[in-house]
Amino acid sequence: MRLLIALLVALIAVPALAQEQKLTANEVVELAITEAIRPGFARFAEEAGSLKLNVEALGATPSEATLETARNQFKSAVTAWSRIELYRIGPLMAENRSDAILFWPDRKGIALKQVQGALAEADQTAASAETLAGKSVAMQGLGALEFLLFGADSETLAAGADFRCKYAAAIAELISGRADEMSAEWADPAGFSKRLLEPSASDPDYRSTREVLEALTGLLAHGTEAIRDQRLLPFLGRDGAAPKPKSALFWRSGMTVPSISANFEGLKALLRDSRIAEATSPDQQWVGQSAGFEFGNAERAEKLVTKPVEQAVGDPKQKKALDYMVIVTQSLDTILGENLAAALGLSVGFSSLDGD
Amino acid sequence: MWRRRAFLKAAGAGFAASLLPRRAAALERAELVFASSVQKREGGYAAALVTEAGDLVSSVDLPERGHDITFSPTTGQGVVFARQPGTFAVIFDPSDGTPPRTLTSVEGRHFFGHGAFSPDGKLLYATENDFENARGVIGIYDVAGGYTRIGEFDTYGTGPHEMLLMPDGETFVVANGGIETHPDYGRSELNLETMDPSIAFIERRTGRLIGQLRLEAGLHQLSIRHMAFDHRGRVWFGCQFRGPSADRPQLVGYATQDGEIRLIELPETTLGELRNYVGSVAASADGGRIGVSSPEGNTILAIDPDTATVVASLGLENGCGIAPDSVGLLASSGDGALGGFAGSPAPMTTFELNFDNHLRLLKAV
Repeated sequence: MRLLIALLVALIAVPALAQEQKLTANEVVELAITEAIRPGFARFAEEAGSLKLNVEALGATPSEATLETARNQFKSAVTAWSRIELYRIGPLMAENRSDAILFWPDRKGIALKQVQGALAEADQTAASAETLAGKSVAMQGLGALEFLLFGADSETLAAGADFRCKYAAAIAELISGRADEMSAEWADPAGFSKRLLEPSASDPDYRSTREVLEALTGLLAHGTEAIRDQRLLPFLGRDGAAPKPKSALFWRSGMTVPSISANFEGLKALLRDSRIAEATSPDQQWVGQSAGFEFGNAERAEKLVTKPVEQAVGDPKQKKALDYMVIVTQSLDTILGENLAAALGLSVGFSSLDGD
Repeated sequence: MWRRRAFLKAAGAGFAASLLPRRAAALERAELVFASSVQKREGGYAAALVTEAGDLVSSVDLPERGHDITFSPTTGQGVVFARQPGTFAVIFDPSDGTPPRTLTSVEGRHFFGHGAFSPDGKLLYATENDFENARGVIGIYDVAGGYTRIGEFDTYGTGPHEMLLMPDGETFVVANGGIETHPDYGRSELNLETMDPSIAFIERRTGRLIGQLRLEAGLHQLSIRHMAFDHRGRVWFGCQFRGPSADRPQLVGYATQDGEIRLIELPETTLGELRNYVGSVAASADGGRIGVSSPEGNTILAIDPDTATVVASLGLENGCGIAPDSVGLLASSGDGALGGFAGSPAPMTTFELNFDNHLRLLKAV
């Protein structure tokens, strides 16, 4: 049925698009940077900056209201992060930033143990950004901050829990600093963007525009795989196993599904705003249409999941919607990892996509 | 609780059914026959036997993506292992039309894609993941007992990948890649900060650790994955680097059972072409050439193990599989190419299928 719809969409869409000039690879790369990546990182920097201010305000004036504001801003920052966290290239991958902002997967709950340890001991080295930066990355990111703001005893923040609040502020400061650095690096015309826009034989990673295009296509394909293997399946359970909602990322703040939604949105934005599918030949334009169709399916499924994740997995209709999102990622794997790559004439194939 | 996938319906659609008429002829003419896991162009996965002349001899369908294939030295039976974190291994007989059979990993284990037979062909060994404990094991299977699993040995590390039987027939060498994975998280790598790759020499009959070699501590993110023996019995290995992509550590080295381990010095430009990723390692028939491949960098190299220098290189898009013929090496690619280099006269041919990472020469039994 999906194939049939994809074909129908293709039949309708192709004649109009075929008239347009095919986009060049370089135009696609430029659009990806200017329309999707830079705005995404700029927004995350802005939200992370507000989070830092709000957590500081909570420390300065502890109250129900300032705690509420900090919690809400945490959610906004998570959404902004989730939109760009799958752009795993360049600034995000430098200096261990990706792990430091979000240590995940964390199957053994290392972050939780370390945060609880720091709280129990009132470890002063966790209470300033400068010393926290030298500690385990699992203690420095959004997962740790979520526990401080939403986990057991977090209500004490409203009554002026001094150490807990200082630790939270230190994390927020580190996240904000890293977000600013990444946004600045992406914005710098002589920085990483230049390597993508002007690939050269001497560049260790990007020798040609084709390799840049392969990297962008790889972000899309690996992104859908990450949503499935690192976000959905760890708590939904594989092959009919019982769900484990407490293995979900951000379950304490109720951000599990909103974060996954933002992951899909980030990939959709990269696909749409780079117009990468328009760099294919006219008879291959259906690939972009069918990817758009699947992203639409993901959005519809996300809207059905209205309860917090612990309850959603126990509600047959909402569980079904979550399971359906897994299927969408599988379809997107094929469309983005195989069909789009093939339509672009890339060798993001089989053995180099991720080998063994 | 994680459970194994119900995949059996797809397995073994029939080896006999897919035999092509030229098969018998190719085998009888004593042409060289190679085996590889493949992706079919029409979709789906298989293990295929092909000749260097470009003929598809036969194939057996697989439920999911396969990885390496190993052959019994006595019966010639082949075993293709699932790519990690797969849970199947399919046993087939290239010499007749016996229907293939499927082996399933036991509860709490999955395959890593590689394995080896004992010299007498009575036991099959496979690298497996004890994923709840992030511990590598060698699963032991009794061939005469219908490939029942009769035990396991430790690999003394996490994430074992390729294992080989040393020329003495009594010692295994195992590449512990050092990367922790758990099927709940697909192929996601869970311990990049604390990786501890090693090469372990293990007694085949007892599982006792004879010796274990590690690269220097600064190279703990260099995952040791694939190996082959040179003519002096040294173990050549290829690595994949999981640290910052801007770094370019050396990726190829050798180890000996006497306790020596070193990385050779590949020139910077050559190293750049490997893109921090060696996908397979294989030796020529006389052990005088070591092939290493990088499908990421579309490059295949032949190294002279005596001088530790590159003596031939081949640019091959998505090239990864390497196997010897009588005089040189053949390489295969994810785009279906197969051809010789480093002394092999085999012309480049293209198949209507995509070769997976490993190519094996089928030896006459």
